[in-house]
Amino acid sequence: MATTDKEVNELIKREYEHGFVTDIESDTFEPGLNEDVIARLSGIKKEPEWMLEWRLKAYRRWLEMDEPDWAHVGYPKIDYNSISYYSAPKRPEDMPQSLDEVDPELLRTYEKLGIPLHEREKLAGVAVDAVFDSVSVATTFKEPLAKAGVIFCSISEAIQDYPELVRKYLGSVVPAGDNFFAGLNSAVFSDGTFVYVPKGVRCPMELSTYFRINAANTGQFERTLIIAEDSSYVSYLEGCTAPMRDENQLHAAVVELVALDDAQIKYSTVQNWYPGDENGKGGIFNFVTKRGAAIGKNSKISWTQVETGSAVTWKYPSCVLRGDNSVGEFYSVALTNNYQQADTGTKMIHLGKNTSSTIISKGISAGRSSNAYRGLVKFGPGAEGARNYTQCDSLLIGDRCGAHTFPYIESKNKSAIVEHEATTSKVSDEQMFLCRQRGIDPEQAVSMIVNGFCKEVFKELPMEFAVEAGKLLEVSLEGSVG
Amino acid sequence: MKPAPTLSNAFLEPGGQSLPTPLLELRKQRGTALVDMPLPTRKTENWKYSSRHLKLTDGLAATLPATGKDGLSLSLPGYRVVFRNGVMIPEASDFPDLDGILIQRFGDLDDADAAALAERLDNTLDSRAVQMARLNSARFEDGLYIRLDKEAVLDQPLFVVHEVTGTASGSAYPRIYVDAARHSQITLVEEYLSSGEEPVMVDSVTEFMLADGANVTSVRLVMEGENVQHIGATGVRQAANSRFESHCVGFGGPLRRHDLMVRLEGEGGECKLNGVVVTQGKQHYDNHTSIEHVAAHCNSEETYRNIAADESHAVFNGRIHIHQDAQKSSANMNNKNLLLSTGAEIDTKPELEIYADDVKCAHGATIGQLDKISLFYLVSRGIGRREANTLLTMAFINELVEQIPVQAVKDAAQLRLNEFFDQTFEEA
Repeated sequence: MATTDKEVNELIKREYEHGFVTDIESDTFEPGLNEDVIARLSGIKKEPEWMLEWRLKAYRRWLEMDEPDWAHVGYPKIDYNSISYYSAPKRPEDMPQSLDEVDPELLRTYEKLGIPLHEREKLAGVAVDAVFDSVSVATTFKEPLAKAGVIFCSISEAIQDYPELVRKYLGSVVPAGDNFFAGLNSAVFSDGTFVYVPKGVRCPMELSTYFRINAANTGQFERTLIIAEDSSYVSYLEGCTAPMRDENQLHAAVVELVALDDAQIKYSTVQNWYPGDENGKGGIFNFVTKRGAAIGKNSKISWTQVETGSAVTWKYPSCVLRGDNSVGEFYSVALTNNYQQADTGTKMIHLGKNTSSTIISKGISAGRSSNAYRGLVKFGPGAEGARNYTQCDSLLIGDRCGAHTFPYIESKNKSAIVEHEATTSKVSDEQMFLCRQRGIDPEQAVSMIVNGFCKEVFKELPMEFAVEAGKLLEVSLEGSVG
Repeated sequence: MKPAPTLSNAFLEPGGQSLPTPLLELRKQRGTALVDMPLPTRKTENWKYSSRHLKLTDGLAATLPATGKDGLSLSLPGYRVVFRNGVMIPEASDFPDLDGILIQRFGDLDDADAAALAERLDNTLDSRAVQMARLNSARFEDGLYIRLDKEAVLDQPLFVVHEVTGTASGSAYPRIYVDAARHSQITLVEEYLSSGEEPVMVDSVTEFMLADGANVTSVRLVMEGENVQHIGATGVRQAANSRFESHCVGFGGPLRRHDLMVRLEGEGGECKLNGVVVTQGKQHYDNHTSIEHVAAHCNSEETYRNIAADESHAVFNGRIHIHQDAQKSSANMNNKNLLLSTGAEIDTKPELEIYADDVKCAHGATIGQLDKISLFYLVSRGIGRREANTLLTMAFINELVEQIPVQAVKDAAQLRLNEFFDQTFEEA
């Protein structure tokens, strides 16, 4: 195994490819959080009175909340007053109307990240709402979407242009008092994405947002709201990279999905934020609240995630299955390496009749990392005939990492059926032997085995992401055998 | 925020006067540590589902008085030791003097044995995980110390009957410590019974210390009445190549809680934990198990089945923890649950915490109802609905009942199960 170990080490040591800092002057708030800061933030965004009220109410509520400590992660205490709560690229008053007006420095950053907007416009057929720090700087493909009646814009714009929709749904799935991080986000969310798909419309393209955190000491607080009206369909892609940075950066996003009768929302994420260096220094703290409400009959919400980045991940994309016959899905690959810590999973709350949910979770831990699945499957008394199937598999690579499973299963309905399975294993010597005997080098063999392990999840990803996901895993883990 | 509730001072009453000095000292010391002990709340993770059923009113604080053997009718095979309200009744007990085996109540221990026991008491339990066991350590009035010398074998099961009397309100603190030396063997049966109607709280602790190659089988039958809250803890520590087997059969009550914690500390250790829980009415039963694989090359097998009828509530929380050096561990956990009515609730949480890579671990959990097709099959062959239901429900747990190694316990459990079936399934 000597060669393999060497290769493992080489691969594990591979530097973060997307680690660079774009040199752009940022208009940034002084660190600190109080009601004035929130009022200033709201003022800059020219928000209506009700929005400011909403933020302040969330802030007051947040002050009374305690930071959760139940997750299987450890990190230094965050001083919320040492964080700056607003950072925008220069010239915030002068928002660019088209790509030509965008700062060329920014465009180059996107290119380095592999998001050539010009090409994407023409070739991929994907509309990109690129978020640089906290303000959306370029939005493409608005017109073909507008033709279909789909609204795809930043949440700040939506607050201005579609206040009645935002007011109705913002906080309806994740209320400000839901948890500590959601409360913080509700008070200070900087920007994010808003999608509205009208009745009967099948969104003509995959919607996608690339996030990127920039500027030191800036917490980024994204807020995403997706509403799918009756019989509509939308697929949304989210991908992230962040520059290399020594200081920990905080990220507390909230994503809310609302699916009405017969509507379908598919939400895919590839998360590749800076995980910290090989000694566990630096990296992003990622505390995300994602929840979808399947309010309508026969509605469907599907989460797919590939999590490879962040120093600390705290994320539980959930489905509240309220409508009869509604369906919830969760497909996840979470990979941790070095000193990364992930506590992730899902909640499936079955309230309606004949609701069903599927959970497939694949955890891969390497190095000295810790990877936990935490999930809740709950059947209310009215969940007649509801069904859940859960499968949690863990793969350990190396003898200094940890893989954990904490599933909560609660049933109050006798006709509901739940099945839960979990296994833990490593890349077996037999599998390696079989491959190597056939002339496959160890690096490729592990890549094959890990890819096979994750196949069930990858096949749920849209094409664009499946490629990126496969590449990501290869970079971090190819050839790793314990 | 409301301050967390703490243990009422009423529970801090002195006692234990009949205990030998070393144990009395220990008890006092544990009592001092209890002042302002926080009580579990809904926010306490391991009491999440059960804290609201825990009602430690001041009326339960007084120790139930030791009484005679009146009213006890026991016809148990094998050896037996009878405790009433946590105090042994020698007249009702019956066991021979055996070579290399000490079976003695705490009150009768000589100073050397008492000192040795005081050294060991509580050393199998993580007091942070089993908060309520601390109360037992501060309140026990008597207890049973079993010590098996090297290669000593107890040739018949030892029945330890714990009865509580509900003629007045109060609490009892049964306590057992088993010290099994190298290659010794014992089968210990704990039976928890009650009489009377007044509200009673039982806080029991049983500890097993297994040396190299020791072989211990523990059978636990919980059948107290509707007036009894029972909080029990069992702690097990296993040295190399030892084997521990546990069979728990529990019937519900206002609160039944059992924490079973096993630590596999030597290579080649093996444990098997089986459990059956049946609840009905508004009963509540909560089983928490924890298996710590500390050393390499150990095996654990765990199978728990819950049946909840009417508006009852059954909870299972199983935890497997594989430490970093416990390579080549094999751990299997399986929890199946049967919900017999829509008012009932099942909560299950099978946990894995793994820090070693060369291990085989799996857990499975299911919740469901009786299979309609199987029911139809039986009914279409002329079997009455009630009998069909009974057959299928029994089949759900039979595998575990069959494995109980003591016939008398099997019979007693079956009798209670039949009562349960009669009450739950109506002829239609």
